[in-house]
Amino acid sequence: MRRFAALALIISFVAAACGGAPGGGGASSDQSALAPGKDVKPAATITWWHAMSGVNGDALNKIVDNFNKSQSNIKVVTVFQGTYDDLLSKLNTALASNAAPALAQVYDIGQAYMRQSGETVPIQAFIDRDKFNTSDFEPAVLNYYKYQDKLQSMPWNASSSILLYNKDAFKAAGLDPEKPPTTFGEVTDYAKKLTKKDASGQTVQYGFGPSIYGWLFEQLMATSGALYCDNGNGRDDRANKVVYNGPEGKAILDWWKAGVDGGYFYNPGIDNAGATNAFNAGKSAMYIESSASLRGSVNSAKFTVGTGIYPHPDSKPATGGNIIGGASLYIMKSRPAEEQQAAWEFIKYAMTPAVQAQWNLDTGYYPVVKAAYNEQASKDWATKYPQFTTAVNQIRNSPQNRATNGCVLGVMPQARARTQKMIESVLLGQATTQAALDAAAAEMNDAIDKYNKANK
Amino acid sequence: MRWTARDARSLAVALLYLGPSFLLFAAFVFIPLGRTIYLSFFYTRQSGAISTFAGLDQYTELLTSPIFHSGLLATALFVLYTVPAGIILGLVLAVLLNQRLRGINVFRTMMSSTIAISASVGSIIWLLLFNPSLGLLNFVLSLVGISGPQWLIQPNTAIIAVSITTIWLTLGTNIIVLLAGLQGVPEEIYEAAHLDGAHGARLFTRITVPMVSPSLFFLLVVDTIGVLQAFTQIHLLTRGGPVDATRALVYSIYLDAFQNFQFGYASAQAVVLFVLVLVLTVIQFQVIERRVHYQ
Amino acid sequence: MSEAGSRARRRGGLTSELGPAKQIAVSEAGRRAAATRRRPLRPRQVGAYVVLALVALLVAFPLLLALSYSFMSERDIVQFPPPILPADPTFANYDAVLHEIPIGRYLLNSFVVSGAVVVGQLLTASLAAYAFSFLAFRGRSLLFFLFLSTLMIPWEATIIPNYLTVRQLGWIDTYQGLAVPFMATAFGTFLLRQGFMQIPRELWDSARIDGASSFRFLRSMVIPLSRPALATVGIYGFLSTYNQYFWPLLITNQTLMRTTQVGVAQLRFEESARWGVIMAGVIMVAVPTLALLIAGQRQLIRGLTAGAVKG
Repeated sequence: MRRFAALALIISFVAAACGGAPGGGGASSDQSALAPGKDVKPAATITWWHAMSGVNGDALNKIVDNFNKSQSNIKVVTVFQGTYDDLLSKLNTALASNAAPALAQVYDIGQAYMRQSGETVPIQAFIDRDKFNTSDFEPAVLNYYKYQDKLQSMPWNASSSILLYNKDAFKAAGLDPEKPPTTFGEVTDYAKKLTKKDASGQTVQYGFGPSIYGWLFEQLMATSGALYCDNGNGRDDRANKVVYNGPEGKAILDWWKAGVDGGYFYNPGIDNAGATNAFNAGKSAMYIESSASLRGSVNSAKFTVGTGIYPHPDSKPATGGNIIGGASLYIMKSRPAEEQQAAWEFIKYAMTPAVQAQWNLDTGYYPVVKAAYNEQASKDWATKYPQFTTAVNQIRNSPQNRATNGCVLGVMPQARARTQKMIESVLLGQATTQAALDAAAAEMNDAIDKYNKANK
Repeated sequence: MRWTARDARSLAVALLYLGPSFLLFAAFVFIPLGRTIYLSFFYTRQSGAISTFAGLDQYTELLTSPIFHSGLLATALFVLYTVPAGIILGLVLAVLLNQRLRGINVFRTMMSSTIAISASVGSIIWLLLFNPSLGLLNFVLSLVGISGPQWLIQPNTAIIAVSITTIWLTLGTNIIVLLAGLQGVPEEIYEAAHLDGAHGARLFTRITVPMVSPSLFFLLVVDTIGVLQAFTQIHLLTRGGPVDATRALVYSIYLDAFQNFQFGYASAQAVVLFVLVLVLTVIQFQVIERRVHYQ
Repeated sequence: MSEAGSRARRRGGLTSELGPAKQIAVSEAGRRAAATRRRPLRPRQVGAYVVLALVALLVAFPLLLALSYSFMSERDIVQFPPPILPADPTFANYDAVLHEIPIGRYLLNSFVVSGAVVVGQLLTASLAAYAFSFLAFRGRSLLFFLFLSTLMIPWEATIIPNYLTVRQLGWIDTYQGLAVPFMATAFGTFLLRQGFMQIPRELWDSARIDGASSFRFLRSMVIPLSRPALATVGIYGFLSTYNQYFWPLLITNQTLMRTTQVGVAQLRFEESARWGVIMAGVIMVAVPTLALLIAGQRQLIRGLTAGAVKG
């Protein structure tokens, strides 16, 4: 294993050297200058902050152990910093007082913040310097983490949002277990059929039980082919306002509210774990979540778990598709050049097909490097968990446009929390859907204004 | 009044004793407070560094913000729901525990055990109790025919849920202080009252309550200050939701500083919270403390 | 608070030699004596016991439930109706906690930091309380008010600058960073002041006549006579430091420097569905403080008497 990893490293170097265009794409400007010189000796120890818990955390530590054992120049020390939100919060304070780690795993929506903070070394710099080949990487994933065609961070754990459903419950309700619903309307129909009440009128099984999670709303906007924020979802230029309070946003909320009011959608609140538990326990027959939780559900559910593509509007907009989820790795500029070099060495190791294959086998995140699928381990796993191919196929089939690239906002964590509050107010009947959308948009636009003014 | 050499010397001696405490207070309380007040007059970058001067703008924005108003409401509700109920419950239980029975200490320990439980531990336990599918609370309620609400999802029940957790956490302190207060009441007073024909409720309101009023007042002040700063329960149970129903001022400060990275704005809120605590405490001392009966 | 208290004291005078603390001791002795004389249980007493037992059970119920769940397997927990006692008790959850988080290290960290804070608080608070109770000096009220004011400054108002200070001192991920900011306590100072003021003036006067320095008086007379109050401050200091969550979260980045509360909260995030494991972690973290409470209960009560009853 060790030798193979080293070999893989060498091969990728050679391939990159002999290969064609540098992986970054854009021929315009070479960012090599931003990276330390090629001959800088990597530091002996670096720290990596991550947010992987439970099974995923174990898998991550396994990879790091293997890296540390495979060579004696660099030791990576991992630190679990809690949820993605907690990690970003900690990183923010650490950066302000020069206590940041060399490597940090920051979630998808943190990318604008990270880039605009000026505290990171864009991965493009290292790619340009070493002529690192990224042609085998999933384009959708790379595009998400690029800004103006420069890769800012290295995608590490990539997931997709999918529909999970209870095949046994489908059968019991007379539905074809191999044909999950794909549109909003179909989800509603299926959910009505799957809702079961007991003698006293209490619902024992709900048809559909999505948690109030901002990411799910962002994905629904993407499958609707709609932008979340302006200026090309913040990717053509800095976003000035959010635009989700249009007809697509209204359609999503109307559909969701009707379901909850009608009693066939279950509302677990903002607790994602609660939604997963409800599904695993059979309380809801379908729900939407990240493909990263598929492994856990398959393990603990007592029924057969099926996966379907993420719901989209009945009109099936051609521009609709999925945004990738997960997180990526950032190298901090405030660390000495030696540490940056060491961090890059580790990243290269982590992106080798064998490591990527092992990572996805152990977690459920899909490989960013396509060659990983050729690994025997990957092939075995695809046979064992055929449900998983849904997620990665969905990503590959998504059209690549601004809507499916996802919105980039410096205040995205706040935006996500605000949409959660918006959905809550609608489901609780405190506001009509359009009013709630407008209120959220107004508040966010204020926040974006403030952010843009303060962080030029 | 002029300062004599003696005055100066006695002050100097006193400062030697007070020095260590004051040094620490200066370094970790007063100067940081000053810095925070300073920060509240500036717009800040996401890193916390100063960006541009805001003057009083952040304060006016705050005072006209609906989130701030609902935060004040949430804070007021928390105080209202937890402090009186917690003290009354504590008093009732303390009276119950103030009996001469063998083995009473076991019961005392059991009931005051919550003083040893941290807010995080307590909140995690109550999180399990409030859980809609696993929680015992709704199951027990269903046994008596009440269909329990989804505690942490409905706004009004969410406030009550956080309040219940807070009352439970402070119950230990309340019981201990009130029990000590009750035990400080001399037997002779009760005997004299009995001779005068007072018993039961009359005895309670005319004798017991006034005699423990110092303890009651102490708890009023301490519990109020505590609830105004209670962060952990909100963070672990509701994260300020649903729809900001439990987003008390203290939690709002956390969100604005650590989720939204608006340190200047958060600092303004911190200053407001500080003034609020100050004013409330002064009011309590000026208005209520007069009615406290000291022996 | 204590301005009024001292007013009251001057109003009512010291009613007994050593105040309520002694009063309680006396009455407790009397009660114990009465109890040892065996009497048959009257129905009224039986009723009292029943009520006490029910109420105590109700109050301690959440804690007992956590204990029970810590021994339940995951399969037991997801049963409906929700169980109260494990059908098949197991130590697997404790095993999991021990293996998944370095709880031993967390406990050590919490103990070291809490212990350091207690020592610091006892030192600073004794000195300060002594000054406020026995020394006369100009500006005493003002300085006292300054102390009082620290109680009302919410920690949110100081936490960012404090983080920056601690960082500048190089105290991130250190015991000093966790302990030093809390080594002064206004609350402890007040409690000790109440306790010190129970000491009769005559002792102070005679010591002065004998020519003893004030520090000597503090050390040889005041401290020994104030054990209950000191114990209370110690216990309070330990409990509140042990139970801190946000500050340790903020200034510890390394796993091995974390404290128990941060550790157990992270367990909740990591194992969001495994309630048995979470409860096992919760129990392991709560046991030391519960033990401290049981051991120090008497001191706590006695010490608090001085602060609360007399005002």
